[in-house]
Amino acid sequence: MSIPVALQPATVSAKARPARRLTGFMPIIALAVLVAALTVADPGFLTQRSLTAASRTAAPLIVLAAGATLVVLCGGIDLSIAALASLSTVLLALWLPDLGGLATPVVVLVATVIGAVQGTAHVLLRIPSFIVTLGGLSILSAVALVVSGAGTVRVVDDSAVKWLDLYVGGYVPMSFAVAVVVVALIALVLRVTPLHSWISATGYSESAARLAGTPVDLVKVGAFCVSGACAGLAAVMLVSRQFSGGPTMADNLLLPAVAAIVVGGTAITGGHGSVWRSLAGALVVTLLRVGLPIVGVPSAYEQILYGVIIVVAVALTLDRSRVSIIK
Amino acid sequence: MTVTAGVTAAPRRRTRRGAAFRDAGPPVALVVIFGIFAALSPQFRSVDNVQNIVDAAAVLAVVTCGITFVLMMGSIDLSAAGVMGAAALTVSLLVANNRNDNDFGLLGILVAVLLGCAFGCLSGLALVLLKVPSFMATLGVSAVGLGVATLLFAGVQPNISDTMLKGWAIERFLGFSYLTWIAAACVLVGWLVQRYTRLGRYAFAIGGAEEVLTLSGVRVKPYKIAVFALAGAFYGLGGVMVTSQLGAGLVQAGDGYDFSAITAAVVGGTLLTGGRGGVLHSAVGVLLVMVLTNGLVQVGVSPYWQGGVEGLIVVAAVAAAVIPQRRRNQVVK
Repeated sequence: MSIPVALQPATVSAKARPARRLTGFMPIIALAVLVAALTVADPGFLTQRSLTAASRTAAPLIVLAAGATLVVLCGGIDLSIAALASLSTVLLALWLPDLGGLATPVVVLVATVIGAVQGTAHVLLRIPSFIVTLGGLSILSAVALVVSGAGTVRVVDDSAVKWLDLYVGGYVPMSFAVAVVVVALIALVLRVTPLHSWISATGYSESAARLAGTPVDLVKVGAFCVSGACAGLAAVMLVSRQFSGGPTMADNLLLPAVAAIVVGGTAITGGHGSVWRSLAGALVVTLLRVGLPIVGVPSAYEQILYGVIIVVAVALTLDRSRVSIIK
Repeated sequence: MTVTAGVTAAPRRRTRRGAAFRDAGPPVALVVIFGIFAALSPQFRSVDNVQNIVDAAAVLAVVTCGITFVLMMGSIDLSAAGVMGAAALTVSLLVANNRNDNDFGLLGILVAVLLGCAFGCLSGLALVLLKVPSFMATLGVSAVGLGVATLLFAGVQPNISDTMLKGWAIERFLGFSYLTWIAAACVLVGWLVQRYTRLGRYAFAIGGAEEVLTLSGVRVKPYKIAVFALAGAFYGLGGVMVTSQLGAGLVQAGDGYDFSAITAAVVGGTLLTGGRGGVLHSAVGVLLVMVLTNGLVQVGVSPYWQGGVEGLIVVAAVAAAVIPQRRRNQVVK
């Protein structure tokens, strides 16, 4: 009697495994194919200089996507990251003259608090996360416009954020190194603490997690905090690169960040995925962005590509067994 | 027996009273807010300004009409900005303009509306066939629409010279611009579709209880696609109307309309969970949002705050709608 019972789940998982394995390696495969294709199209691509430039472009996107990944793992979504990053660039540019080196931690802290407020609103008021963060997007953009007077805020003395423009070992841009360290740090904290199982339990089945005693609400608010902090850090990187802050500076990073998360293979339904996947996803998105002009495709196709990528990647990684009705 | 009758009757009466309160709330709020601003600012209560508010509400009313059907199903649509951009560029390149020799007039407008319809269809297909949640599917379609618009824009702004389309925004009939009358017609059509067609009825039912509907043998999928296509057509028309206002086709024609429309619909009493509300509710919501944003500017608040006010309203309105069911809904994603 016990044999069929034991066999049944085994056959089911064996059947599901090839598909799951394919989507599991999807970001790595996509990355390899992209690098190969770009090298064929332009032999000069695989040189140290262009790779350095590409990794520098990727850094803010990696940080943004890594933070928002935690929210997605909990089953929610954070649509406000780009607007929060824009606001943070404005705040950083405004505060740099007065606070100097302190401005960076203060901005990251403020962004964390804003993330916490959104998470708390989501948890306490029981509003779906996408509507909270959509409202947040709108409010944060308005605040950024008002604070900056709807103009670019120049940074005259950028000595406090200049360290991000240095190179580690002469080759690796500091911002890229910081981004990888952030991803590694998040992954490490998740691994050595019970947080990882709490987050995936929340994502896979929130009511079961609640019954099992997981502090679901705290986990969600924490995820939003990390998402906010990462948006703040991404803003610091943007300011160090552009020597200014603007109320719409990071707004066009929302779609690439969402694309990076879903291309990495993190399921939008929650539970399945990791921050490392988002790192790979962000690299794929950046290579697409850098690569399109190399292949000779007008950059207008970039937007169309993001749209198609998001829909296709979500369709591939979605866990259909758990949701019967999709709204 | 009397006891059980009393027990069953009591909650029913309460829900009915709740529904009546929900239906009466937005119009009452509209009157109250209008009264407050009228008392605060003499500029606000002038006839010119009232005409202004109604004229400014035209495009938002059309877009909200479309999004209401999607919200009634319990889905969400973030594609308005992209679809409107693509429709704006399409129509400005098809009517008389400075970029090419086309002069299709009404036919060009029809093509733009049909393009919007096609984009809506795309969202619906992604939702139904690929099972991508609607907010992701429409986010993707919005990006595609913006990309198409950028391709059509090609670096040179198409200024329209078609007298009819330009006249829509300028010429007036009974004190209101033609655009306002078009919007009123759209609301009427939307209400008729919602009230008297199978499409509108099923959109309600899908939002209320999709499972029950499926189990009763209704094939839900075609209706879902049709609702998204209908919404897309409304966005297309909205894009045409923005082009008429601006006199040029811009990629950013629909910027912010997606969120404003969601705000208006939610404030009007359409629940995000679906199954409640309707086109007339949304029309009241549109006026409410327009009165609020116009009034705040008249009172002296910076127009940059407009988005912030909308964001606060939408969160507050959704929270207010959810509070009665807080105990039941333990899982909110």
